[in-house]
Amino acid sequence: MSTTEIEGTVEMTDAIQEESEVISLCSFHAGEAVFGIDTRKVCEVLGERDLHRVPMAPMFIGGVVPYRGEVLTTVNFRALLSLGEYAGKSCVLVLEDDEAAERFGLVVDSVGGVVTLSLDMLEANPCTLEPRDRWLFDGAYKMRTGLMVQLDPQRLRPARLAETGLFQQRTDGGTDASTDRR
Amino acid sequence: MSRGDGKLCELMVSRLRPDKEGVDDLTKEFIAESQEGLDRMERCLTELETRPEDGELVGEIFRVVHTIKGTTGFLGFDRLEKLAHTGEHLLSALRDGKLAVTSELISGLLLLMDGLRSILTLIEETGGEGARFSDEDGALIAELSMLRGQTQEIGEARALPVKSIAEARQIAEPAAALSPTSSGSASGVSDKTLRIDVSVLNRMMNLVGELVLTRNQMLQSGLAEANFPELSRRLDSVTADLRETVMQARMQPVGNLFGKFPRMVRDLANTCGRSVRMEFSGQETGLDKSLLEAIKDPLTHAVRNAVDHGIEAPGLRVLAGKPAEGCLRLKAFHQSGSVVIEVSDDGGGIALERVLAKAVERKLVTAEQAAAMSEREALQLIFLPGFSTAAAVTTVSGRGVGMDVVRANVERVGGSVEVESRLGVGTTLRLRVPLTLAIVPSLVVRSGGQSFALPQSALVELVDLPNGDAGQLVQQIGTTEVYRLRESLLPMVWLDRLLGLEPYFAETQRSHYIAVLEAEGCRYGLVVDDLVSPEEIVVKPLSAVLREIGVFSGATVLGNGTLALILDVGATAARAGVKPVEEEMVELKTIVAQELQEISLLVFEARSRERTALPLSVVERIESVPIRQIEYAGGRAMLQYRGELLPLRDEGNVLVEMEAEHARGEDAVATVLICGAPGGERKLRFGMVVRKVLDVSAGTLLEGDKAVDGIQLALVKEKVTVVQREFEMSTKAAWREVA
Repeated sequence: MSTTEIEGTVEMTDAIQEESEVISLCSFHAGEAVFGIDTRKVCEVLGERDLHRVPMAPMFIGGVVPYRGEVLTTVNFRALLSLGEYAGKSCVLVLEDDEAAERFGLVVDSVGGVVTLSLDMLEANPCTLEPRDRWLFDGAYKMRTGLMVQLDPQRLRPARLAETGLFQQRTDGGTDASTDRR
Repeated sequence: MSRGDGKLCELMVSRLRPDKEGVDDLTKEFIAESQEGLDRMERCLTELETRPEDGELVGEIFRVVHTIKGTTGFLGFDRLEKLAHTGEHLLSALRDGKLAVTSELISGLLLLMDGLRSILTLIEETGGEGARFSDEDGALIAELSMLRGQTQEIGEARALPVKSIAEARQIAEPAAALSPTSSGSASGVSDKTLRIDVSVLNRMMNLVGELVLTRNQMLQSGLAEANFPELSRRLDSVTADLRETVMQARMQPVGNLFGKFPRMVRDLANTCGRSVRMEFSGQETGLDKSLLEAIKDPLTHAVRNAVDHGIEAPGLRVLAGKPAEGCLRLKAFHQSGSVVIEVSDDGGGIALERVLAKAVERKLVTAEQAAAMSEREALQLIFLPGFSTAAAVTTVSGRGVGMDVVRANVERVGGSVEVESRLGVGTTLRLRVPLTLAIVPSLVVRSGGQSFALPQSALVELVDLPNGDAGQLVQQIGTTEVYRLRESLLPMVWLDRLLGLEPYFAETQRSHYIAVLEAEGCRYGLVVDDLVSPEEIVVKPLSAVLREIGVFSGATVLGNGTLALILDVGATAARAGVKPVEEEMVELKTIVAQELQEISLLVFEARSRERTALPLSVVERIESVPIRQIEYAGGRAMLQYRGELLPLRDEGNVLVEMEAEHARGEDAVATVLICGAPGGERKLRFGMVVRKVLDVSAGTLLEGDKAVDGIQLALVKEKVTVVQREFEMSTKAAWREVA
């Protein structure tokens, strides 16, 4: 479903391309919306994976998944958007953070493909955005098919998410562990 | 754990790094060899002081110095050669019996050793021996020559050498004063290289070859092939062997570390005006090299503390009715998957009121808190940062860098520190470190539909908790559940509830299991849904966010490819609110138990309606044997068991009944206890046919005069039980121990 859309955008962007102001994004879906992350920050896309849940973890943690001899912590993007559990099997984007030299995963519904876009098409976040979304989103690209919201992997790092305190309360499960946490 | 891995990498990187400029391979080898020689010399010297007449020790020291002298001449280090030459001269006089071993002589030789060592370090760092210090060597050389010169006047010339040694000591100070921090950074080539037996290396290579072959075969044969199970078994055994060999190569005897202490203690004792004798045990206990390095500083600190704060001045000791010479014991041994190193002194012990007063003064605790503290809690205060009870700041200790650093260092490698102290009797500091960092034997359990790994080191026992009659054994205190385990109450922690997991109900599930865990002085029963398997797991670190939860110490990939979280047993206890058991109570209990001569007994029924027991230590296995397999020879029942012919004892004529059953065409299976002497001598083994096995429990042997007609009776759970004494002939000595 997503591939056709993306092919469309690629053709479109070819027409208006200007060398210096082009960025390639990896697109993915969560709920209804389409999001994009700079391909340079994406190490690998893991197909449908079973996530190992971690009890008592903050609500935005999707679980852990084995990845190249490491145990990768994943962030559940749907939880960040306060969406319910995804019915199907999720995909994991492995993101790399240069500064902290730490890898982490981002759990999304499905991964589209690589989209090359012109920076001209980027609009800043609207000022009416909620604080949570303001933290997550990094502007949006106006595409013919709709908007593609850009994300900043830096801000998706589990440690940073925990620091902000915006995403602390547990929404899923309704377990008694929430009272245990602070 | 992760840090440990880091260190490992560091170790490897530094070994792979190209050679420092100016130091060629030959010299490096020479330095490493000489340092080892000097370590040996150090040990010999301190031993020589206690056994001055031992000619072999002198010979060994002589050889070390002689080798250094010989090799330096060849490599062209004149300064080193000159010093070694003087030393050799002195030692040869000693060897030929022209000199007597005196304290001054030992000091002189130790200075010689320091001198040699500092030149070696200089060569290692700069590639040259730095001739600019030659004047200072001169003083040392003169000193040594003088020691040699006093051949005839050993007695009268004491005063003079003492003075000059004091001077010389100042010269050697930079090398001798290895403070904990500087010794870390100054560790050169010799600390970062490891000597491995070539045979071990060859074995490793063989195993790697085997691994490659197995891989090739596995790649060529598909999953469906008939020999696949066999191949995976081989892979399993090769991996296990390889792991063991690599571990073995990394293992170093703790003695290597202990060897450095006699000298340090000697110097320290002199500075502090103490008289200290050292005792070692368990030097051969192996420990991973990186761990050995990690505990070096904490241990050094502990030894310093013991000499400076622990052992009193000789005068005070005599007043207290103790021998003037204090005793410092270093002991290493294995205990439940970890290595324990004990530093104990017979000094003054830790004065609790002083500890508390100090803690209040330093505002570490409030006065009210201090008043409410138990002895154990109060002792833990010494591990708080910025705590030192030393009355005066000496050069040796009391600089505020204290036990907190010791604890931090040990805990960093996954170990723990305990302290025990009795005022006026002494103090024991116990460092507990894991054998290795990366691989941990563990038990995989399931709870709430997820797998968790429990480290075996914390696991005491497993108890089956049947769903049906849980009511009798699980009792409620308020809202808390406790389990009655052998007449003590065990707090129960339901893992799924603690972690907020959905209760997981399987149709087939008939019971839960309690894993009795012990960590950091807490003992509790963790209730899990199921036991999966014991597995050796490779610990993978978790990210910071997940570490913060505080209940998991890592994660691991299980054999079936799924993940399991590793439970931090101590932290789980803390989260569940389990408080450490008062240590004193435990001690008291064990003392009581010892007084009553309680032993573990296996209780069974041999003659009908009679309870019989055997000490658990003699029972090796309990086997179910089909009656067909029991054979008779000369009127005696025998069993072929693992290639051995076991005579069977049949006290209750169980076999006769069984044979009758068998004759009627029923399948009869006898229960046989395979018994052997605790010493493990194979000849003494026999089988005991019993009706059924009843229980394992502690029992009290009744006094001899209460015994009836030579039958040894015991009270087990307040029921009279006959203790089998047939064994007495073969295991008389062992019996005395238990009975």
